[in-house]
Amino acid sequence: MTTANLPELPPEKGSWDEKAVSRRGLLEAAFGVLASAGVLAVAIPGARFLVGNALKPAKPQWVEIGSIDALPADQVTRATFTTSATDAWRNVTKRGTVYVYSDDDGASYVALDGTCTHLGCMVHWRAEENHFACPCHTAAFTRTGDVISGPPPKPLRRLPVKVENGVLFAEI
Amino acid sequence: MNRVARWVDERTGLSGPVRDFLNYPIPQYVHKNFLYTLGGLTLIALILQVVTGILLVFYYDPSVEGAYNSVDYITYILPLGWLVRGVHHYGSSAMVILVVLHMLRTYYFSAYKKPREINWLTGVLLLFLVLAFGFTGYLLPWDQKGFWATKVGVEIAGSVPIFGTQLMALMRGGQDLGQVTLTRFYATHIMLLPAVVGLLVVAHIFQLRYHGMAPPITAHAKDNAKKFVPFFPHWVLTDTVAGLGLLALLVYLSWANRAPLEFPADPTSSNYIPRPEWYFLFYFQLLKYFPGALEPVATVAIPLFLFGSMILLPFIDRSEERRPWHKPVTTLVSIFYIVVILIFTILGTAGSA
Repeated sequence: MTTANLPELPPEKGSWDEKAVSRRGLLEAAFGVLASAGVLAVAIPGARFLVGNALKPAKPQWVEIGSIDALPADQVTRATFTTSATDAWRNVTKRGTVYVYSDDDGASYVALDGTCTHLGCMVHWRAEENHFACPCHTAAFTRTGDVISGPPPKPLRRLPVKVENGVLFAEI
Repeated sequence: MNRVARWVDERTGLSGPVRDFLNYPIPQYVHKNFLYTLGGLTLIALILQVVTGILLVFYYDPSVEGAYNSVDYITYILPLGWLVRGVHHYGSSAMVILVVLHMLRTYYFSAYKKPREINWLTGVLLLFLVLAFGFTGYLLPWDQKGFWATKVGVEIAGSVPIFGTQLMALMRGGQDLGQVTLTRFYATHIMLLPAVVGLLVVAHIFQLRYHGMAPPITAHAKDNAKKFVPFFPHWVLTDTVAGLGLLALLVYLSWANRAPLEFPADPTSSNYIPRPEWYFLFYFQLLKYFPGALEPVATVAIPLFLFGSMILLPFIDRSEERRPWHKPVTTLVSIFYIVVILIFTILGTAGSA
């Protein structure tokens, strides 16, 4: 009866062990439980391992933009910064682009992150048209970073700034 | 030789399955129509990618400092490096073209219909994985093109509502595009994707053999449906000739134009115009038309709708009719998609000029 689902064995080979086969349901259930436990025991730590430190928020960091003497106060100036950073197991030199200007003749400065808020391309300043342009989807931003046209969902990111000993710093 | 073969066969039992595989009857309507070689040709292109990929791993340095120089070395200094990388580079485009053509053949011949739905589904998954191969592959040289196209690609994931930011961080492996990203893409490109694609290709071919070729759709083909030729050598020879043609084309392209390598990745450059590979260009262009809050329409809704409709196709179109000229809806929908993709690709190309 319990062997009903099993193929018939040729008589010369032998026969199914009825007693052992009668425990089939129990063994199937045990396999299901143990195999699931095994799969989870591999999959859960595996998934955690893959996530790694990816979701750790980046620590804001002050970077040196340059001497304010070298920044023309009334113009938008492109400044690149370099700073040492840890990229997982590597010590790297992190680089980026910010745009800096002053509306009050150097009393205070505005620094904008040059990363387009649409899909992360780098915008460039068009002095003659007085706006930032993104080369990816032709978006335009005002001098203050507000969206004029194109698909970006929000203004360019304004970075906190400070001046120490005549040197401008921005927090990225 | 015969004794050796018999010895092996007694211990492995392989001769029966191998003989059955090679003697499989191919209907003449299939053998005589070159459109049916597209599947086999895709497999040959995949094999070429695997072989050239394994060769490239011997020289490629998967680090942000070393990747660019190693690819430069492979392309310009290493003997035949230009050939191996060239065939791999142009082969990736060939894969996309062949998979799409193979899929269109299947679509217009209604070969996705019962009982072949699962084979259509494995095919849709394989198309998706081929695109994933392309996306993870072109970051690896760590040049401007790969860096910026990946930055944009990852940001697209970032625009997914609710968990987009986390998804983007998971893809990058951190808050910036850096070493962890490169390692992730490399591991996905050379380990994860080949393993999954290999399994799916076996499943795809097994399903094909289980159901046989889809029935013919033209009267002429029906006349040829009762005559068969063996898979080997007749069919294999046709695919071999097509495969050699493909190889010759890839070698020629690699020789005529070295596989491109732009300047090294520079996160500060504000005058570089990021553009993805040509087969993602239509999508890149599409993103232009969904401003602000509408962004998820282009980044989530449209791709989900496209892939969703491809997956659901065999369950929606369940009629017996297999002739495309008697199925105006599916035929017109496909033509609409093809035209839209072509127009957006042209607009995207013009935009990059």
